[in-house]
Amino acid sequence: MQLIFSLIQQMSVFMVIAYLFTKSPAFKPLTGESISRQQKIILYFVFTAFSIMGTYFGMPVSDAIANTRAIGAVLAGLIGGPVLGGAVGFTAGLHRYSLGGFTAFSCSISTTVEGLIGGLFHLYLMRQSGVRDLFNPRIALLATFIAESLQMMIILLLAKPYSEAWSLVKVIAVPMTLANSIGAALFISIMRDQKRMVDNVGAIFSAKALKVAEKTLGILDHGFNSETASRLVDIIQKETGVGAVSITDCEKVLAFSGIGADHHAGKPLTSNYALQAISQRKVFYADGVHEPFKCPHSSTCPLGSALVVPLIADKDVLGTIILFEPKTKLFLKNNRSLGEGLASLLSEQLLRSRFEDQKSMLTRSELKLVQAQVNPHFLFNTLNTVIAIIEQDALRAKDLLFHLSNFFRKNLKRENDLATLAEEMDHVNSYLTIERARFEDRLVVETDIDPQLLEVQMPTFTLQPIIENAIKHGIANMFGPGIILVRAEREEDLIRITIEDNAGTYCRKLEGGGLGMNLVDKRIKNLYGDQFGVSAHCVEGEKTQISITLPEGGRK
Amino acid sequence: MIRTLIIDDEPNARRELEKLLNKTGRFNIVGQCGNAVEGVKAINKERPDVIFLDIQMPVIGGFEMLSMIDREIMPQVVFVTAYDEFAIRAFEEKTLDYLLKPVRLERLEMTLEKLQQQIQTEVHPEYETERLTRIPCVKGGNIKLIAPEAVEYAFTDQSGAHLMVDGEVFNTDLTLKALEERSELIRCHRKCLVNIHKVDQIIPGESGTADIKTVSGFTVPVSRRHLKDLKRLVGI
Repeated sequence: MQLIFSLIQQMSVFMVIAYLFTKSPAFKPLTGESISRQQKIILYFVFTAFSIMGTYFGMPVSDAIANTRAIGAVLAGLIGGPVLGGAVGFTAGLHRYSLGGFTAFSCSISTTVEGLIGGLFHLYLMRQSGVRDLFNPRIALLATFIAESLQMMIILLLAKPYSEAWSLVKVIAVPMTLANSIGAALFISIMRDQKRMVDNVGAIFSAKALKVAEKTLGILDHGFNSETASRLVDIIQKETGVGAVSITDCEKVLAFSGIGADHHAGKPLTSNYALQAISQRKVFYADGVHEPFKCPHSSTCPLGSALVVPLIADKDVLGTIILFEPKTKLFLKNNRSLGEGLASLLSEQLLRSRFEDQKSMLTRSELKLVQAQVNPHFLFNTLNTVIAIIEQDALRAKDLLFHLSNFFRKNLKRENDLATLAEEMDHVNSYLTIERARFEDRLVVETDIDPQLLEVQMPTFTLQPIIENAIKHGIANMFGPGIILVRAEREEDLIRITIEDNAGTYCRKLEGGGLGMNLVDKRIKNLYGDQFGVSAHCVEGEKTQISITLPEGGRK
Repeated sequence: MIRTLIIDDEPNARRELEKLLNKTGRFNIVGQCGNAVEGVKAINKERPDVIFLDIQMPVIGGFEMLSMIDREIMPQVVFVTAYDEFAIRAFEEKTLDYLLKPVRLERLEMTLEKLQQQIQTEVHPEYETERLTRIPCVKGGNIKLIAPEAVEYAFTDQSGAHLMVDGEVFNTDLTLKALEERSELIRCHRKCLVNIHKVDQIIPGESGTADIKTVSGFTVPVSRRHLKDLKRLVGI
């Protein structure tokens, strides 16, 4: 009976050490999903130490030692597999052997076997349910129970003389089996709790990061300026709970939120950290302990630590994001990785908004180019037509000049993005009137437009390039009379505008793309989405049909 | 008076040029055409001294049209163009003159001077022209362009020139002479040209004539005058 208490006492000491172990860096390998070779070596030393400690804490019982050596060996096997278990068992066994006594040999063998039994459980569990059940106290209890029972048998088999072995086992079997099994179970349960805590902290931080990511999404689409930056810092400071957050460009603080906002906001960048982070594209960290953050603006600034992460888009440093904590608070390691994560998230968003900017700039300049391209030839032809008719029909010449003027006025005004169908048709109508004067009976234009659709909106300069193609590449290239048909109709949940000519002479050019139609298509898709846009249907020598689809109502 | 033909696809341009030509009092306008096919037809019919020819016309441009006219009746050519002064300079040597639209009267008078000198020589101009790549034909009121390689043989009768293509007869405004000069069709008879690649066999007939059997089984006559050349061509 006394032996049981003594063993329980031993076990308690053991548990305290186990608890300390779970708080130490040596426990870190066990918080992950898998254990590397290097980590296994650390575990080997840790568990061997436990096992040997079990021997030392043991009570001498008739030339043998009642002990808790088994816990280290079995758990090493259970957590790390048969190799680790065997190695720990063998080492601890060797140590036990060195202490002597009539059970020295049997105990050293049995400890190795106990480590291997833990290893067998590991293999079985990994195959059944994976790493989760390794930290199940019941299984640890069962494994240690079996291992200890086996040890008793081994002592009976190997220890000489048998009579002494028998009388020893009678005394130690129950207390040792119980103490070791319960000890192993408790040990595992302490480790499991610690592991869960680490997981939870990780989960809380992941959730924080996700929340920030979600809330900040799209803000930078409106550009990188003090307005968007101040929205970002507010969100980040609120969600992460750090002392203060700041976003800077390469020259000044764009926005600042939290402690010290009174003397940081809008200041030019003067701290070495920010300037170095920008010039060296590196993270700078003043942890407040080894290296205190010194505020460049105020000597009474309560901020004591800072993490500066550069924001990099497409190889250019655009600015930094800075996380601060006051002097009274430690800068959490997790907040550090959170800060770096946020910076890469924002960098990603900056890159995307930059790309969008360039894309729309490209579209705008392409549009300008198309507008510029059309004009000289058209203007030239029109002037020649006017010169040709001005003597015999001055009124008609004047009318043509009015249309020409209208056409260019519309061209000039087309900076803003949207036009109604009525405006587009007005533009096109001037164009067609002039072209009809040039081609006379070789060009017939028919329109069939549902008057209800006249207010439908589309990107400016949508119809004109297509009509122009129909004339330049269609009607102008055929012998017979050319007919252009412009039709606008409602079709289920969309609006279709069709421009058809009876030439069928530019099928191949259409396939090759270009002709300014890609641009029209791109602008419609940018505005309304990919399901809308321009499509072409061409029958060689018969007709070319260009179809523009827009959403019902012309608005999203 | 200089017999003149205007070929331009824009009616306003034709009227404008007509007015200018009339102002000089030296031109007699014998016709106006809106495209190259009409142009070829009118040239063959009217044999004008000069044509004012637009370069940019639908389907067949001014340069290509020149390759459809036989050398014997080639008029003096004045190109008229709205653009590409540089492009036309490459052809400056090959034409009498070129005018840029809008044409000014003073510039036209210079052209007139050149023209009068040329016409006095009574020599038909020798313009470098491209080979024919397509022959405009009329079938059922539509204009069709046929590649010379596809033609089996060509012949003339009272109604004009015709092409046999895939067992179908097409009418063309081009003369056999123009076709002979600018395509690979071979003269085998006063009224016939044949595509040497479509000849199946040559069957000797009476007094040095022969008949060609084409690959599609048509018979084309060979006159005594052309038999020798033909035989040499096919390597007999």
